[in-house]
Amino acid sequence: MDREATVSPEQTAADGELRKRLRGMLESGLETEVEPRAYDHDAVQSVVARLQALAPDDYEGKLRIAGFTLTPWRGEDEIEQACETCMYYVVHRRFCELPELMLPVEPEWSCRLWRI
Amino acid sequence: MANVLWLQGGACSGNTMSFLNAEEPSACDLVTDFGMNILWHPSLGMELGDNLQQMLRDCVSGKIKLDIFVFEGTVVNAPNGTGEWNRFAGRPMKEWVRELADAADFVVAIGDCATWGGIPATAPNPTDSQGLQFLKRDHGGYLGKDFRAKSGLPVINIPGCPAHPDWVTQILVAVATGRAGDLSLDEFQRPKTFFQSFTQTGCTRNMHFAYKVSATEFGQRKGCLFYDLGCRGPMTHSPCNRILWNRVSSKTRAGMPCLGCTEPEFPFFDLAPGTVFKTQTMMGIPKDLPEGVNKKGYIKLTGAAKAAAPAWAEQDIFVV
Repeated sequence: MDREATVSPEQTAADGELRKRLRGMLESGLETEVEPRAYDHDAVQSVVARLQALAPDDYEGKLRIAGFTLTPWRGEDEIEQACETCMYYVVHRRFCELPELMLPVEPEWSCRLWRI
Repeated sequence: MANVLWLQGGACSGNTMSFLNAEEPSACDLVTDFGMNILWHPSLGMELGDNLQQMLRDCVSGKIKLDIFVFEGTVVNAPNGTGEWNRFAGRPMKEWVRELADAADFVVAIGDCATWGGIPATAPNPTDSQGLQFLKRDHGGYLGKDFRAKSGLPVINIPGCPAHPDWVTQILVAVATGRAGDLSLDEFQRPKTFFQSFTQTGCTRNMHFAYKVSATEFGQRKGCLFYDLGCRGPMTHSPCNRILWNRVSSKTRAGMPCLGCTEPEFPFFDLAPGTVFKTQTMMGIPKDLPEGVNKKGYIKLTGAAKAAAPAWAEQDIFVV
């Protein structure tokens, strides 16, 4: 099974387009809520609740509230937080499956909802 | 012929219901094939009133030999240690429990309530409930940590909420047929034959666990339930995926996270809001890791496993 075989060619193309658009938003300086990190249950629920209030196609809002960055985030404990090690990351589709996000991402990106 | 007496303290009758659904062997098989004489049981007992009291007194005095005393439910001590909130056959149940346990050759605790207190003993424990020989992880319970039945064995604990019916009947058969000496108990007095392996042992989601593919919603056939939905399968000792429920399935196979109900701490985190069906994390890392795995190793393993994950591991491969 090849790398992209988990989704249809059409979906792969759509993911690619949206991923490119998200990258563009972040590269153009979209300010996202990188901190405080959602390190405990209450913090996670707070962020998730705000994401749930967004329209499914409010991509800017999703990036901003989840605190996306184009590079891995590294905390005081030196643990690198990148999409590629996150439990919500689908490796072969390069996709975040957190129900409140559902976004095509890159393995080196990061957000504050990271969990391993 | 082994005489069996089954009483119920602070309980929901869930273990009785489970027991009556046993298949290998069934509750009827215990009588017809394995020579057990059920002296009394909350759903099967024939004696009532004075006759029941007399029978219990005869068990205590030794007039009726009590081979196996089975207890389901907590020992209720409230109010103020009197046990009056759970009266049975004319007196607090706790008084019957003490005397019958001392008279029995074997004492078997069925279900979490009887083993470690279970849900009734969850803080603030308004009924002042205890398990027979444990209160959560604390050894002692109502009978005390040094209690031994006449056979020399401590209380045999068969936990679960409820316990699987076949765990119950198979242990009863082993005891009734003189094979109790073959039973090896763990530190919580659970028979190792059932409680040495993990709930995860035999789980159909093990490949998703191995490749770190997470389920994100209940009922998904794809993905492991440990990472996000609070499954305690890797830390819980039970054969739920080896001896299937109703011979068909298990919680995890059906997409329902294991709640860890065979462990003394159940229900975990005292049922605080947000702790049920949600993996508890600290800085993104699960608070409770698979038994024997440390945080550093877990992080390394996760990185390697996700990097190596094949595409099929991310798909629903259970095609209908």
